[in-house]
Amino acid sequence: MAEDQSRRGSHRVFEIASGDFGGKLMVTRRTGRAVREVLGEALEALPQGGALFVDTRGVELMDYSFADEALGVLVSRVAGGEYGERHLVLVEEDRDLLENVEASLRQRSLAMVRVDELGSEPGLVGKVPDHLVDTLWAIYDAGSITNADLAKKLGLNHTACNNRATRLAKLGLIRRKVETAAPGGRQYSYERIA
Amino acid sequence: MLFSSPATITTVKTQLQLNIRSRGAMSGVLTLGSLDPAFKGATRVSGERVMLDLRSVEFVEPAGICGLAALLEFLVPRSDTVNLALSGRDVPAYLERMNFFRLFGERVATDTDVASLEERQRHNPGTLQELINFHDEEEIPGIIERISEILENKGYRLRERVGICSVLSEVCANAAEHGASSFGAYAAVQAYNHIVSGPRRRGEEVLVAIADGGVGVRETLSRNPKYAEHTITDNDALRHALGMGVSGTGELGRGGGLALVAQISGRASGSLSLRSGAGRVTAYEDRKNSRNVPDFPGTFVRVSLPRVAEADDKKPRARTR
Repeated sequence: MAEDQSRRGSHRVFEIASGDFGGKLMVTRRTGRAVREVLGEALEALPQGGALFVDTRGVELMDYSFADEALGVLVSRVAGGEYGERHLVLVEEDRDLLENVEASLRQRSLAMVRVDELGSEPGLVGKVPDHLVDTLWAIYDAGSITNADLAKKLGLNHTACNNRATRLAKLGLIRRKVETAAPGGRQYSYERIA
Repeated sequence: MLFSSPATITTVKTQLQLNIRSRGAMSGVLTLGSLDPAFKGATRVSGERVMLDLRSVEFVEPAGICGLAALLEFLVPRSDTVNLALSGRDVPAYLERMNFFRLFGERVATDTDVASLEERQRHNPGTLQELINFHDEEEIPGIIERISEILENKGYRLRERVGICSVLSEVCANAAEHGASSFGAYAAVQAYNHIVSGPRRRGEEVLVAIADGGVGVRETLSRNPKYAEHTITDNDALRHALGMGVSGTGELGRGGGLALVAQISGRASGSLSLRSGAGRVTAYEDRKNSRNVPDFPGTFVRVSLPRVAEADDKKPRARTR
């Protein structure tokens, strides 16, 4: 697995297909665990708010066991708050290889943001409840948006909107920021991670 | 000639027969099922000389060679010696090419001159994986890398390679994890330029077989109290094991491998057969068949992956001119 030479601010890219544990054929939970440990260390090394882009484009085969152990378990730990405000993004095209990642994340009722390549429009792998999907893409369309503006855009009351966005933030799919706003209140805003 | 080999005749106490069909599509084929009488007979062996009669076998598929390996692992420690009776050249030559004698040559006796087989050119276009013995998950990536390279050299498309390799890695991983036994597990993969399983139809087929000597599927699933009602019989357990997320540990994310193997074989219009204890379940794309079978000491998996010819839907059409 190689660290991308160009570190972009708080982002880091890892290519699964190259380096010590990597290859074109990624199989077994044992290999998945080894890759997950390296990815976990890379996540921890990021500043809060940072995102780790896991690039699997050079991989030919990821079996279910590997996908679940390397990505399924890691995404569940990110969603469980083990890595604080750090995020994971999958860099992969829409191809058969995604099936096992999808199956693992669905089993776990989790999802990952996926991009075809760095900077391209994001999609999802895994499972996000239907009623949250519109909220998610509204935040991504805006790039960054306050709770009040998002509520207005979606025709929701502020509390419902905040609840939905909070769930998306807990799933690790967006960033959620709290700002103090006059008069004496708190203003939430949300940001896309990729 | 009656007394030409009295030593052999007088010292063999137990002769184990197979159930090889003499008619139909499976005539002369060594399958797992054809070994059933021998598995049953093996339980009664206690320290005597044994002869395993393979003379009616004309054709060995991966399921047969993995089953034979599992049978010998069961039989050899219970016997004084095991003698394999083989006839003709084809079956011994095939067993040699599949590395059978390399793995068992020192543990079984045979009247076939194995050395002469070794000298023959080792060439079998269909062998994707010779009989291999493995114990640990650690060995699997190497097995997958090798077969992937062979498939690539033989012109298999990426999608087919991924299908075959995923099936093999998941099933090997299950065997390494749940099938812990003194002998580990055996696997073999063979490609055929015709359809071996089921009714005769045009096409090619890849067969993957794995046998382990572990505790079996029912006992593994019984460790999870949640599955009490699904583990009453071996067939209940096998059918349930094919479901997504069904595993002995019950950990989230576990138990996806076999469900996906069934999906891959189903999509290819093939099948996945599981045999463990007294159960046998075969999953096709749209249905599952189960039947009761004689006890198998461990777990056995056979996957059929027919290859759809790329040109199938581009057949030359009758010209209208």
